[in-house]
Amino acid sequence: MKYVIPGLGSVAFVAALAIAACLACSSERDAHLPPASAEPAGPASSSATRVADPGDVIDQDLMIALAQAKNFHHKAKIYMADGNLTAATASVRQILSLAFPKGAPEADDVRNDARALLAKLLMSQGQLDEATRTIDEGLAASQRESFFVANLYTVQGELHEARAAAFEAAGESGKASATDERHAAISSYDKSIQINERLQKKLLEER
Amino acid sequence: MATQDDDTLTGAVPDPETEPSPAELAHARRFAELVDKTLAGRTPPAMSADDRTLLEVATVIRATHGSVELAPSKQRQAVEDALHQAMGTVPTSRGAVVPIARAQARRWAPWVVAGASTLVAAAAIALLWLRTPGAGHANPVARRPAVPEEWTSRSADALVGPIARDHAGDASSRIDTIFADRLDGFRTRRLARGGKP
Repeated sequence: MKYVIPGLGSVAFVAALAIAACLACSSERDAHLPPASAEPAGPASSSATRVADPGDVIDQDLMIALAQAKNFHHKAKIYMADGNLTAATASVRQILSLAFPKGAPEADDVRNDARALLAKLLMSQGQLDEATRTIDEGLAASQRESFFVANLYTVQGELHEARAAAFEAAGESGKASATDERHAAISSYDKSIQINERLQKKLLEER
Repeated sequence: MATQDDDTLTGAVPDPETEPSPAELAHARRFAELVDKTLAGRTPPAMSADDRTLLEVATVIRATHGSVELAPSKQRQAVEDALHQAMGTVPTSRGAVVPIARAQARRWAPWVVAGASTLVAAAAIALLWLRTPGAGHANPVARRPAVPEEWTSRSADALVGPIARDHAGDASSRIDTIFADRLDGFRTRRLARGGKP
């Protein structure tokens, strides 16, 4: 049997390969380490924590926007108590134009909730088309499923029921349309139920 | 003209019981002297073909019996070198005796270096492969917690829960809940940072 003793060149090549691989490992490991300026963990830190982007934490801008929305809602509530639905509607509309921090998930939630209330206010004033448009705009603008989106579908179902009642009141000629509206209402409620079920299941899995 | 010496190998084989002739005895004595001279390193430059053949056979037989020995001078040199190495001193002779263990080490050294380097390279590549984030690997960000979830901007789904139809328009109470929760997180974070926003 003939043995070939490896030359110095091949030994050096393998050694260089090993060193290069070690360096790659080292740099890759460093890339996983958090930056020195990472947010310090406070006493309230728990296992459900993560590294935050600069705009990911609750900041002053978000709190101001939430406080504004809170005030507009309370203002609308007082107007509603006084029976001034027009002023209440105007107050709720102002919530939709509030400037939230870009990408804040609370913004979608607060706006969708405001749209649901706005649609109910418009519905109570007989403005069904305007209420439907408000709901449709909210559903179109939503980036993700949420309980607030499910609530929009619930109000959409109520709107269909209101339309069905209006067609019923119109007499025999409106019966077919009323039936269609009732079917549409069922479809909207089904969507709301399905979203709620999915989200509840997801939340239970995360716990 | 052929002589008696020339047909030693090719002639008839005599009977073992037959007394050797004076010629045979003389030939045997002469061949014995030839062997002695050869062992002493004084091989005659010329000899008959039969004698040369017999001498080669005798040399081979002697070598196979292991009775070949180094010259006394070489023997002395080898012993002295071995003693020098055992005592840790430098051998004086040029052709120093290499210890068997060291000679084997010299032979295997390149293989050991190459093998160890290959193992290190393989281990490093395997480590790199395992540590590379990909499908099925946990997000490295999630592995190193840094900010409590309570401090982050996030969906209010977990806070509010499913909204019942009876409370579809009760946005005022929900915004109160959301605001209070986020204010709590905002204050806690600010306190933890020494009052910095």
